[in-house]
Amino acid sequence: MPRYFDDVEMGEELGPLETTATDASVREFCEVWGTGSANRFTDHEAARKEGLTGAIVPGIMSMALLSQLLTQWADGGSVKKLDVVFRQLVPHNIPLRIVGVVTDKNQVAGENLVECDVYLETGQGDRMVGGKATLSLPRKE
Amino acid sequence: MATEQQLDFDRSQLGVEYPAGAFQVRKEDILRYCKAIAERAPVHTDEEAARAAGHPSLLAPPTFCAMFVRAMGRPDIRLTFGRTSFHAGEALEAHAPIYAGDTLSAATRLKEVYAKTGRSGTMAFIVWETSFTNQHGELVASVQESFVRRD
Repeated sequence: MPRYFDDVEMGEELGPLETTATDASVREFCEVWGTGSANRFTDHEAARKEGLTGAIVPGIMSMALLSQLLTQWADGGSVKKLDVVFRQLVPHNIPLRIVGVVTDKNQVAGENLVECDVYLETGQGDRMVGGKATLSLPRKE
Repeated sequence: MATEQQLDFDRSQLGVEYPAGAFQVRKEDILRYCKAIAERAPVHTDEEAARAAGHPSLLAPPTFCAMFVRAMGRPDIRLTFGRTSFHAGEALEAHAPIYAGDTLSAATRLKEVYAKTGRSGTMAFIVWETSFTNQHGELVASVQESFVRRD
């Protein structure tokens, strides 16, 4: 069901979307990305040789997971901007929560824009990736 | 403590635009990308659903084109500061939809290099900006990547 600009309220929460970046899903992502060979993203041993505790999720995959919350929430709309900061390394195989909150809504040049803060957290609420997004939503006729 | 003025790098590269290749947006790559991130929106995973929603073909997820940035050969800016480097952030601006079957042309440029000092010391930020244009000459997306160098 489409989400309409008219119905969005300031402070409204997005999510949570619960997911896990598994060894297999990160490998699949990296194969499409062109980094499928053993490296810090796909291979725990290779990551440990770089001083990490294990393989990590690529930043652009974390960003893609955040955008998934937005596309799911903004059904019928589109993501105009997404600006993320990678605060901590995201390990494989842990429960992740993707959450957001509406911080503003505006009509600009005929577009109905909603501003959100979005976060990728651990199951304990530790924020590993944070960002700001702008979504465009339809209005009711 | 390094300041912006003291960072030593090849300043002649600031703002210089480099063609960064052509990239095919393949349906199978969109589907594998969606599988990897568990994206289930039908416009991204089902071509018929995308067409029914008014799109000419499968719609790429918003962050899809960020994957192409890695394949770009960028010049060495000869920054002498710092020993370790990491990806600090990424900003995407979508200007128009990207579809399976599109051919994207990319151009990348060094946007800025600056120093910032915090509790953990001084860090140098290197920011690259890449724009993607489709086969119709339409600007479809801009991606800004920030990297940090520190001791």
